[in-house]
Amino acid sequence: MPGPAMPRALSYLVAIALLAALPFFLASYQADVYRKMLLWVTLALGYSFLFGIAGQVAFSHFAFYGIGAYGVVILWYKLGIPLPFAIVGAIAICAALSFVVAVAGTRLEGFYLALATLAFAQLLIVVLTEGGEFTGAAAGIQRYALPPVMGFRVAGPYYTIVIVLLLVGTYAILARLERSWFGRACRAVRDNSEAAAAMGVDVARIKVTAFTLTSTLAGAAGVVYAFVDNGVAPTSFDIDKVFTLLFMIIIGGSGRLAGAVVGAVLLYLVPFVLEPYIGHHHPLVYGLIMLGAILFQREGLIGVFDGARARLRRSFSGAQAARQSA
Amino acid sequence: MSALLSVRGLTKRFGGLTAVDGLDFDLAQGEILGLIGPNGAGKTTTFNLIAGAMPPTSGTIALEGEEIQGSKPHAVAARGILRTFQHNMPFAGMSLLENVLVGAHTNFAAFGSGLGGLVLGTAKARATEMASRLQALDLIEFVGLKDLLGTPVTALSFGQGRLLEIARALCGGPKIMLFDEPAAGLTPAEAHRLSDMIRQISNGEVPVPGFDRGIAVLLIEHDMRFLLPLAQRVVVLNFGRKIADGAPDRIRDDPAVIEAYLGDPAATRGAA
Repeated sequence: MPGPAMPRALSYLVAIALLAALPFFLASYQADVYRKMLLWVTLALGYSFLFGIAGQVAFSHFAFYGIGAYGVVILWYKLGIPLPFAIVGAIAICAALSFVVAVAGTRLEGFYLALATLAFAQLLIVVLTEGGEFTGAAAGIQRYALPPVMGFRVAGPYYTIVIVLLLVGTYAILARLERSWFGRACRAVRDNSEAAAAMGVDVARIKVTAFTLTSTLAGAAGVVYAFVDNGVAPTSFDIDKVFTLLFMIIIGGSGRLAGAVVGAVLLYLVPFVLEPYIGHHHPLVYGLIMLGAILFQREGLIGVFDGARARLRRSFSGAQAARQSA
Repeated sequence: MSALLSVRGLTKRFGGLTAVDGLDFDLAQGEILGLIGPNGAGKTTTFNLIAGAMPPTSGTIALEGEEIQGSKPHAVAARGILRTFQHNMPFAGMSLLENVLVGAHTNFAAFGSGLGGLVLGTAKARATEMASRLQALDLIEFVGLKDLLGTPVTALSFGQGRLLEIARALCGGPKIMLFDEPAAGLTPAEAHRLSDMIRQISNGEVPVPGFDRGIAVLLIEHDMRFLLPLAQRVVVLNFGRKIADGAPDRIRDDPAVIEAYLGDPAATRGAA
């Protein structure tokens, strides 16, 4: 049941305030880790909607993140288009490209959609690496800087506010869609597309819309990412990144936005926490956690939380019933 | 009574096989029409043609005078023809209420503006959602699944799954409901309740606002004991052709029907 509008808006404001305030108390390295974690969470949210709710096994999510990042830098830094137009332009490019990929790709099911989107992601890396002067080739485009906004330099903890707004905005949009007829139609298509069509759901349209929407959100995140390090390079958008994203949402709980948040935070921090002990062998830990999740906890970590809450509620109502009968 | 649905010359060929051959029939508002015939008579194909699962080779299907043959299933549903499946098809990853709400899909605002309204959380989007939820809850109560609202749909019994399908289709506010062997797999008690429910649906007796208009019902059924007392009219198919069309009593005595389908006299006696 959707709660009253005011408390929800209020809780979003509190979340923004807390998330944005934190980096002011962190050392600069920690703050940088924190910023990138927030971006991973943002990406995981959109991917969770696409993979878990819309049920599309697509591997192009990180590619659209890259297109958004490269798009804004090329439009603004290389072509000299004013930044606001470059931002809108980069997001529009992601929307248009993802629409084309969606129309072609959503005719494919499961395995074939996965292959096609994987090929698309690989193609992007090739284009970025072989793009010569235009994309900066293997070194990418470096050492530009966000121009001051009304005389104010938006950097460091202040830029974190931009990332937080992106994250909370992404969450708000996806949460709203998820609870609505659109989210239901997405899940209906995922669970049984024949029955969904018989209930009036235009299956192709829902698939294309879900893909375009989440890919465009990834593109918007890419635009924001472009000014985190003030540099973009092909290696940042390598094909293996999307699998990390996949691990995040499965471990957190596929198809649940809260699960995406939990999974992304956990997996992003694992390498940092474990580095003193195991060096760079954290993929091994990823693999073990992933295996554990698939074998023992299909609903992911959020499923553990749900289960505990349900048990608590049952024992509470049981105690109430006992009291009433006594 | 003018026809709500008019089927004229409906034909479907699969290669050399003619599954449905020049079929004509009408369905009026509030009527319960049974479609029967031996296996392979073309009942399911007729059903699929009306529901848009496949296009006809020739012939027309008109809803309120407008031809709809060849439309896609979602477009047919959007026009007010909703169906249940012979093999229950719940959305396994969704709650009972959400399952039923998918039926209301076409009630929501036109696609583009609807999505914008959702993101912005407009009053209209919220009001539509609220009204749909209330209606879905009423329909869940009508089919008798209210106590199972918190139960995962995968844990429902076969009969309960059938009731879910009915509530889901009703939630779309249909003009016509298609039932594909609704009594198959039900216990006698469940079949009896279902029979009453279908009568209520067609008579406009569903105690939910907006359901006082009778809904036309087209059902395929093998079980004569279920169908004959329920249907007001029966169309009998054999080898894709209509061999009889009339009241159940007349159908039961029709020599062509007895020969083609009710060859076993025990089946008719059971129904009487």
